Amino acid sequence: MGRAVRNLFVAGCVVLWLIPLYLLVVNALTPAAEYAGKPEWTVQGFDLWQNVRTAWDVAGIGDSFRASLLYAVVCGLVAVLVAAMAAFAVVVLPIPRPAFWFWLIYSGTLFPLQMFLAPLFGLYADADLYDTRLGLMLVYAAWAVPFAFFLIRNQMTTLSPELTEAALIDGASFGRIFWRIHVPLMKAGLGAAFIFQFTAVWNDLLLGITLSRSPDVQPVMAALTTLNNAYSSTGPPVILAGALIVSVPTLLLFLVFRGLFLRGITASAR
Amino acid sequence: MTGTATPAHGATKPVRIRRRVPARTPHQAAKAGGGRLGGPLAALPWALPAFALVGVLLVYPFFRSVYGSFFEDNGFTSSFTGLDNYARLADDPIFGRSVLNTLMWVAGTLLLPVLAGLLIAVATHRMRFGGVAQLIIVLPFAISGAATAVLWNFMLTSDGAVNQMLRGVGLDGWTQTWLLEWPQNTLAMIVASTWQATGLNVVLFAIGLRAIPRETVEAAELDGASGWRMFRHITLPGLRAVTVVVVGMAIVNSLKAFDMIWILTKGGPSRSSETLALSMYRETFRLFHVGYGSAIALVLSVIVVASSWMYLRRQMPDTGTGKS
Repeated sequence: MGRAVRNLFVAGCVVLWLIPLYLLVVNALTPAAEYAGKPEWTVQGFDLWQNVRTAWDVAGIGDSFRASLLYAVVCGLVAVLVAAMAAFAVVVLPIPRPAFWFWLIYSGTLFPLQMFLAPLFGLYADADLYDTRLGLMLVYAAWAVPFAFFLIRNQMTTLSPELTEAALIDGASFGRIFWRIHVPLMKAGLGAAFIFQFTAVWNDLLLGITLSRSPDVQPVMAALTTLNNAYSSTGPPVILAGALIVSVPTLLLFLVFRGLFLRGITASAR
Repeated sequence: MTGTATPAHGATKPVRIRRRVPARTPHQAAKAGGGRLGGPLAALPWALPAFALVGVLLVYPFFRSVYGSFFEDNGFTSSFTGLDNYARLADDPIFGRSVLNTLMWVAGTLLLPVLAGLLIAVATHRMRFGGVAQLIIVLPFAISGAATAVLWNFMLTSDGAVNQMLRGVGLDGWTQTWLLEWPQNTLAMIVASTWQATGLNVVLFAIGLRAIPRETVEAAELDGASGWRMFRHITLPGLRAVTVVVVGMAIVNSLKAFDMIWILTKGGPSRSSETLALSMYRETFRLFHVGYGSAIALVLSVIVVASSWMYLRRQMPDTGTGKS
């Protein structure tokens, strides 16, 4: 009986997981004007591009999409570089009290975002950073550093110390050792960390709705939320089309770099 | 794809052992020859950018928030009130409901995605098309929380897809106004986040299953173990390490749950589905009770940090926290 039960169970799960995805696609395809007020279970026409265009232009997802792309790429890169340097200092270099530095930087991931919000809001209002792209980029970079640091540090401890020793004896400077030895050897790990932090920044909602307001500054998830609140005027097909567009970058990254993604997770899981 | 210096997958054991045997760490290696390069302070510039970003934008606001929780602050004026905000928490019925909802989230997101993940991973292990099934279940994990919430909002509204489905199979009595009444709004949202979160656990458990040595399984088969006994005595113990991680991540993530609730119910109706994460946001940014909001955030932080610290203590013995 084992095999049949197992197959049935897996098939049932797959169907359960596919139904929402199927509804998402089918209803995002439905022409907004013909939407009858109830979820459609069959394809009612192909109006995806029109719905996407409405969400993109009218609801302003497009502006936020570009802004979020900027945040995710720049902050992901900055965070990975800064975190790799810090990991290098803590793991390889003779910094005093490496455990203290580790916890200082890593503590950033432990606390819930809520703990930083109110003072950040005050800080940003005082420094004229509220509702600016620079302001969001700063906080996203800072927010992405701790976990990237955690991932990279874990991988760096697996590199053999003889490498550094040999380079030191040859008279290489720290900068040279970092760029010529550690960065090339850690390429996969750094890539995994970048993908992780890109996804985290891209998916952020809370910082976005707290620290920004204008459409061209707001990250894309905040724009999607705004669109969702305007439900009655635009209709579900447009909202679901919006949900589809904002999922494309992470979905693509996941499908293309599945190996790196999983390595990133397992590195943190060890 | 593995970096050249990383040990091969099979070599995880020796790495573990190295931690216990007093061998040289990379750190000590640099110490040996580091004197020529300017001593301990030469390493500081490398850590400084990270310290500056994290310090100014995360650590400082954290302590500012702790400090602010002792004040009655409406965004314009503030006055020191000591522990009043915390005393108010005890009497606030919304805070009580909020704690209850947070506990439901923790329990729900521990039970459902972890159990479902385990079952699906075991069922799809070494199965034909098992990889495809896993991929389908992982897909929602790649979608953001906000997009998932938007989709489930569409499913859970009163004339949404879930109620349609129930009517379709003749279970009219089961139809609900899912998001309008407590406790089913919280339960429905837990199910929605299970849909999203299970995939990650499936992947982690699948990695764990692949790490169980084939010989162990074969030896157990020779001894006549199969089905439940195999699962109980071979599979589960083999997955222990992964389970610790999965559970640890689930606890932290469920405590921080925000996107799903904010988009689906905004904590409503009449704040019935608020969790601590949401209560803080509403008190601070909607009601301008900044000090009170900070107090809630601190309570949440203490819970999150306490649980993740206990988890990390087991996970990372080499950072010096496990010993003392």
